[in-house]
Amino acid sequence: MPPSIHPVDLIGALRHKRLTPAIVFLTSRRACDDAMQAFQRSHTALAPERQQAITSVLDQLIVQYPSIGEHPLLPTVTRVGVAAHHAGHLPSWKIAIEELMRQGCLDAVFATTTLAAGVDFPARTVVLTQSSVRKTRDFTEFTISEVQQLAGRAGRRGKDLVGFAVVTPSPYIDLTVITKGLTGHPEPIDSQFVIAYPMVLNLLKAHPLEQIQAILARSFAQFQLNRRAETLEGKLDAVHVQMEPYGPRVCTDWISQWQVFEQARKQKAHRIQVRHREPPELAARLHFLTPGRVVGLPKGRGLVLRQYRSRGQRSPMVTILRPGGAVAECQASTVTQVFDRSFEVAEAPVYPWCTPSSLEELIRQMSELPVRIPTLPILTEDGEKDIAESQIAQTLNDEFPCPTCPSRPACQKDHAQALRLRQEVHRHTKTIQALRTGLWHRFQARAEVLQQFGYLTPTCHLTDEGEWARLIRIDHSLLITELIRAEAFSGIEPQILAGVMATIAHDDDRPGAFPRISPGLGSLLGQVRQLADSLAPHEDPPLLRADVAALTERWVGDPALTWIGLCRATTMAEGDIYRLLARTLEYLSQVHTLRATHPGLADTASQAIKVLRRGVLEELP
Amino acid sequence: MTTEELEALLAAQPMSLLQRLAQGRVHRHVRLGKRHLIDALLRHASVNRAGLESDLQALMQRDASAGHRRTSGPPARHRGRPPQAERHPAKSSESEPAEPATDLSALLEGIGVPPPQPFFPDPWQEEALSRLTTTDVIVSVPTGSGKTYVAIEAARRAIEADRTVIYTSPLKALSNTKFTEFTRIFGADRVGILTGDRRDNPQAPLLIMTTEILRNLLYDAAGGEIDVRLDTLGLVIMDESQYLADPERGVVWEETIVFCPTQARLLLLSASIGNPEEVAAWLTSIRPTACHLVRHHRRSVPLRAGYLHPNGKLVPLFRSVGIPHSHGGSLHPEAKRLFAQYEDETLRPRSTSRRVS
Ligand SMILES: Nc1ncnc2c1ncn2[C@@H]1O[C@H](COP(=O)(O)OP(=O)(O)O)[C@@H](O)[C@H]1O
Repeated sequence: MPPSIHPVDLIGALRHKRLTPAIVFLTSRRACDDAMQAFQRSHTALAPERQQAITSVLDQLIVQYPSIGEHPLLPTVTRVGVAAHHAGHLPSWKIAIEELMRQGCLDAVFATTTLAAGVDFPARTVVLTQSSVRKTRDFTEFTISEVQQLAGRAGRRGKDLVGFAVVTPSPYIDLTVITKGLTGHPEPIDSQFVIAYPMVLNLLKAHPLEQIQAILARSFAQFQLNRRAETLEGKLDAVHVQMEPYGPRVCTDWISQWQVFEQARKQKAHRIQVRHREPPELAARLHFLTPGRVVGLPKGRGLVLRQYRSRGQRSPMVTILRPGGAVAECQASTVTQVFDRSFEVAEAPVYPWCTPSSLEELIRQMSELPVRIPTLPILTEDGEKDIAESQIAQTLNDEFPCPTCPSRPACQKDHAQALRLRQEVHRHTKTIQALRTGLWHRFQARAEVLQQFGYLTPTCHLTDEGEWARLIRIDHSLLITELIRAEAFSGIEPQILAGVMATIAHDDDRPGAFPRISPGLGSLLGQVRQLADSLAPHEDPPLLRADVAALTERWVGDPALTWIGLCRATTMAEGDIYRLLARTLEYLSQVHTLRATHPGLADTASQAIKVLRRGVLEELP
Repeated sequence: MTTEELEALLAAQPMSLLQRLAQGRVHRHVRLGKRHLIDALLRHASVNRAGLESDLQALMQRDASAGHRRTSGPPARHRGRPPQAERHPAKSSESEPAEPATDLSALLEGIGVPPPQPFFPDPWQEEALSRLTTTDVIVSVPTGSGKTYVAIEAARRAIEADRTVIYTSPLKALSNTKFTEFTRIFGADRVGILTGDRRDNPQAPLLIMTTEILRNLLYDAAGGEIDVRLDTLGLVIMDESQYLADPERGVVWEETIVFCPTQARLLLLSASIGNPEEVAAWLTSIRPTACHLVRHHRRSVPLRAGYLHPNGKLVPLFRSVGIPHSHGGSLHPEAKRLFAQYEDETLRPRSTSRRVS
């Protein structure tokens, strides 16, 4: 979104107040380009000596980076002293703009916020027009750190006595996000540790399995998890203290004992209530629709929170907890299945009919239910009902000592509190265990996949395949190594290999158009896609865009093709094409490291690299 | 006035005026676009034409005189409306502190270029460098403070002691910039760069690379294959260390730190983060020496904030000249008023202004 003020007026106002040079942050490349177009059409022009200064800086840079000289915006930038800087540009162009800013030749740069660290040059003023940034697909509000990273570019040490952050509104700005960002303290950072296949292979190459857990324990991830675990352990100690009065009584595990007794009692009560009213199947079922029971409903599953009969309503009702946490009332007859699974519920007399912590725990437990749960076989009782009921009443007395136990009043009084505390202990203990061992389990899960595919032996040593596969340390490593093992690349031409690597490497879904693709590459892509889909349970498939494969194939297949010719063949921005090819180079050079085990493939990769790295791709290391 | 004339007159008015006119006349008027609002007003006119016309005249007159009073600032692109303070005199004086708010001239005072001064390192830069002789160091200071100076000096000292220095950055583009800068300082023979597909001067004492490349070197070294001079590695400088928290790549920073050879010192340079002491405590727990934390929040060049209205008018953003330390109630009344006006005009009630396209 462009700001509401016209870009030419914006820079005019800043110049007027001596607030230039400025960096104007906009969210989209499009907005930056539109701003440049507005300047192109405008009649503003710098004094001749300032234009001269720009020209001389650029002339020097062009010697090193010839592509700068061919940039269509060169005359505009020189004339108006304003430029755009975003990922759609070639690195060389961005270097030129940065150098011009460093030397104080420009009045303003329109830049995108997507990569704050990438805008590595300061200015007197930073203009903010947005309070959110596009991350992958969604807009996310700026964090305090992000606002400070952006505003931090204002005020050049040694060149400015003061720096300015200027906010100007656009349709989607939230002023409080920005003021909070400017005035607040940056957020703490958290570990983002993920365990990828190359990490597992490379760790196991260097260390025996017994040492791995200790190595993972050295990560920032585990450091932070340990801190959380320690906090919880403190809480757990406190709960244990609270539980002291609820130790063993007449029965050691009186809490469970009372729980079961209560449940049985309630079931009995229901039996008496439902007499003669419901069809036999439903009547039989009702005994099992007790709090905590997992049931099947016409749409998915639910968990019974209570069974009741509302006044004036003849049919029995149940309150159901849905997997997401929604609580619904429905007729008991809508229950389609009664599963052989029931959870502890700390019941409460009011909505939602259980304690908040219990509700939370139930929601968590429901989310962890397996796909298949056995259903309860339920016998219909028919005419023998009355006999059955008296039997139950009898059992209640026979099996449970509670009704006559001397501890009964104490148990009755303490049960709710004791049960709540016990569930809390349970929950904390489980969480602490997960915090302490989670990383290790994730590592083991990855290792198991690698064993399954034959990269690791059952004792977690690298197999011959694992020995070379560990050298592929990029995203989608499993797909690449599996393609190599399937001999998908044997005997192919360099441009086809480059095309496949490009499509695996490219993770940007900005649309681009390039329809023509060679039949050879096309059919290979089909094979890649199929394999990627079959690996999907173990590794996220790449986008596998055919257009970027075709574009790369073209560049490598035709060494006479110029950069401009390549750019004309697609609607992708120059900067995106550059990044595509640069990433392809990186992937190809990973393939090249396999020369000891796959000399033919490594050789093809090296040929592709040689052709690929020409023109603008040669300008930078 | 004929209906056509009334319609034309309404169409010529700014939204803000139509909105005020619609108050009490049109249901949910803030949600309507201009066309619909005018239609609704015309429908209303069939009930009480005279009342509408006279209110319209009154509002137009009020706006015209308000426009005359406000002559400062560049020419307006949008037509304004009377200041909100006039409409709600009680509201604006309520929650704000008694101290008078600053004005534009105070905000802009002192703009300019400082006189050239001889270079003296800041105390925190000295502190980081001297601590680095014995321990790992993490620096967390605001952007623009001078972290590069610490990197350069630290590298210089390590090179003089015949040690290899590795400098990592999160982006290839930044690596290139630093390569150029360091080559200018240390000379081409002393600086090398390693990328995924290329090695320039890999035997140089100062090597620049992205963090991924260093992580891969450390993998190789652990697996028994060393091809860069890791044995003489004396210092690893990790720039933009706040990338530790990057969702996709943060793990690479962790691995690099965990696998960093014990004989090398680590220098982590980071923009201001909320918990550098936690990162330092982590390093202390896994590295041979206690990690020393250098942090401060003071910006070397003071920062001020302004609000630029779409009509070109600039006002201070906060009541104070500098950036206040907490944000409640510190917005400048004029910025608040203008921004509220902007939101009114763009017809986006505050509650939905966060929504994005
Ligand atoms: N002690 C100092 N005195 C004066 N200027 C300094 C000092 N240290 C650094 N600078 C200047 O401050 C500017 C910003 O430094 P830089 O290292 O780019 O900041 P950052 O902390 O963002 O990396 C540079 O122009 C640098 O020359």
